[in-house]
Amino acid sequence: MLDTASPSRSAPGRKTSGPARRRRPRLGPYLLILPTLVVIALLMFWPMIQIGVMSFQKVGNRQLRGEPAEAVGTENFRTIFDDPLFWQSLKHTLLFGVVAVTLTLVLGTLVGLLLNRLGRRMSSFVAGGVMVAWATPPITAAIIFYWLFGNTGGAVNWFLDLLPDALVGDGWADYNWFASPLPTYTVLTICVVWQSFPFIAVSVLAGLRSVPGELYEAARVDGAGAWRTFWQITFPLLRPIFLVLTVLSIIWDFKVFTQLFIMAGLANRDAFNLSLYAYSEAFGGINPKLGMGSAIALVLTLLLLVVTAAYVRIMVRQGETK
Amino acid sequence: MRFLQVAAIAAALATAATACGGESTPEAESPAKLNVWMMGEGTPEQTKFLDGVEAEFRKKHPNTDVVIKYVPWPQVASTFQRAAAGGAGPDVTELGNTDVQSHIEQGNLADITEKMNGWAGVKTLSKTALTNDQSGGKTYAMPWYGGVRGIWYRTDWFQELGIQPPKTWAELSAAAKKIQDEKDVPGISAPSDQTNGIVSFIWGAGGEVAVKEGDKWTGKLDQPQARTAIDFYAGLVTRDKVAPAKYIGKNELQGPQQDFAVGKLGMYIDGSWAFKELKKTGAANATKWGVFPIPSQNGGNAPVLAGGSDLAVWNDSKAKDAAFEYMAILNDKKNAQAWADYSGFSSMHTDVKFSDPVLAPFTQIAANLKMAPLSSGWAEFEGTKKVIPTLVKNVMQGKALDEELKKANDEANKLLNP
Repeated sequence: MLDTASPSRSAPGRKTSGPARRRRPRLGPYLLILPTLVVIALLMFWPMIQIGVMSFQKVGNRQLRGEPAEAVGTENFRTIFDDPLFWQSLKHTLLFGVVAVTLTLVLGTLVGLLLNRLGRRMSSFVAGGVMVAWATPPITAAIIFYWLFGNTGGAVNWFLDLLPDALVGDGWADYNWFASPLPTYTVLTICVVWQSFPFIAVSVLAGLRSVPGELYEAARVDGAGAWRTFWQITFPLLRPIFLVLTVLSIIWDFKVFTQLFIMAGLANRDAFNLSLYAYSEAFGGINPKLGMGSAIALVLTLLLLVVTAAYVRIMVRQGETK
Repeated sequence: MRFLQVAAIAAALATAATACGGESTPEAESPAKLNVWMMGEGTPEQTKFLDGVEAEFRKKHPNTDVVIKYVPWPQVASTFQRAAAGGAGPDVTELGNTDVQSHIEQGNLADITEKMNGWAGVKTLSKTALTNDQSGGKTYAMPWYGGVRGIWYRTDWFQELGIQPPKTWAELSAAAKKIQDEKDVPGISAPSDQTNGIVSFIWGAGGEVAVKEGDKWTGKLDQPQARTAIDFYAGLVTRDKVAPAKYIGKNELQGPQQDFAVGKLGMYIDGSWAFKELKKTGAANATKWGVFPIPSQNGGNAPVLAGGSDLAVWNDSKAKDAAFEYMAILNDKKNAQAWADYSGFSSMHTDVKFSDPVLAPFTQIAANLKMAPLSSGWAEFEGTKKVIPTLVKNVMQGKALDEELKKANDEANKLLNP
């Protein structure tokens, strides 16, 4: 742009020096991000490389003590692909990811729209309220939900038992929410969505504040309802925000671990997702199998990359065609 | 006599070996610091008890600082992993007894054969428990305390309803039914995540989890005896309906213990160590609790798994002699008695008994001890893969018994022969 805008400035003498100057590396910015890069490389990239290497090895306590690890080729992967538990965990991971991401985004967007319509004071109050859920550490939230849905003195079972039997059926007092996968994941979904929608809500609110009010006014004058206004104005304008929020949600929800670890634990293997499956192989017992754990973690990482890449591609394409 | 000779030769060889190493001092050197790892959360009482042990130890090693670290049970596996990887391990450590074989296999523990032979306390230690600490003719750990499980019950309800402590499975189920009908609480708990309790039923039917045939472990979970046992245990929930479904997928600490303590459960399976926890939760009922042995199918006590802890010298320790001396003081008669009375665990010295009469049945229960298969794969079978809990859970949730037994047995064959 700049080059075509000022052709008169390109004097003969500058023609050669111009491109050369541009190509000269500027060290300043790189020096500034260097410390961060070193830390990230040490704490993130190095372990990731190690996981990659270890997924092709047999690594137990003996190897941790210093014995060389034995290369086993693709045996770890063959073992997990042969294990029905892997496919079940994969299914749980995917299903949970789809449901939780959808619910989080829908609920978060709705609350964001609500916050935008509320008055200044009420808006801050509600925003502050929901942010408490976001700020709650996952382990605290998990324990609270485990207790809420617990057998002995759990508030949810107590409440369901109070409701008329015709409405919800009976026998709730002793209902065990964590005995089989579906109820476990129901509670898990509630817990995870409860914790993650505030971030979506506040981000959407920030986006909405940047949309010029005239657009909505015009829409109202043209007789568009709330539904139409959202899809015709809000969503297209906030597309980049939704893109980022969805990708983040996918990343968070696919690797959920803490909450499920508290709720189902290592004893309920039928409720495993990939994170818990990897953990149980790598750290679950006194005979750790770090190679197996790494292999599962690698599969999960690749899966995440593929899902995220595919999603970003779709979103960007749609944005271009519009 | 033969044994003494062997011991003497071994001792002589050991002296020769150390002499070759250039250490001529017979007295153990005093390290500046002795790291001792204890499993569990630790309590003020335990710390006080260990302070006493330390005071005794420091009479001989006045310049050694004994540092106690409590490792909560759920973090044990990862803590030992870090110790193995980072080299920052303990000198003396407590170990869960079912993990000892794995630790030996991994090379974590120092060979203490000679030290044990030279220690006076070894004579009264339970032989069964000691076998668990040996591999290839060498000793790697010292049995410390044991925990056996029995069935806790309400003495007042049994009396009121005219129930005798059950001697057979049929009586056990009937007693549970009666409590459930009369007291309006679940009769008994049958949590699925309780390998150590469930194996008593398998053994009580004359079955086995696995036996060693030649040099391989062969799973026996597909045999009729094991089938009867799993069928009965799961049937407490599904058929007799005397145990609630709410404990499926849980262990005895995730509901049964609390419910029993506050009077919302008739019977539950747990060890002697539960007594102090029960008192904490339900102090008002504390005088109404009793214990009877887990019955076998047709009468008599079922064999119980000797759970518990052992002491060992970590292989990377720089002060192995001092470490062993500490263990020897910690587990001498006087301290063993004090520990048993505080913790509610039976001492592995056969001549140390509980002082509290409520716990007396546990001494009787412990007379019928049985070890888990002595395979380094047991820790994975029990801890990581939770084979028996998964089997029981699936059966309780209506999956086909024979198919599940077969699956579990295949796992046993695979995991117990690592």
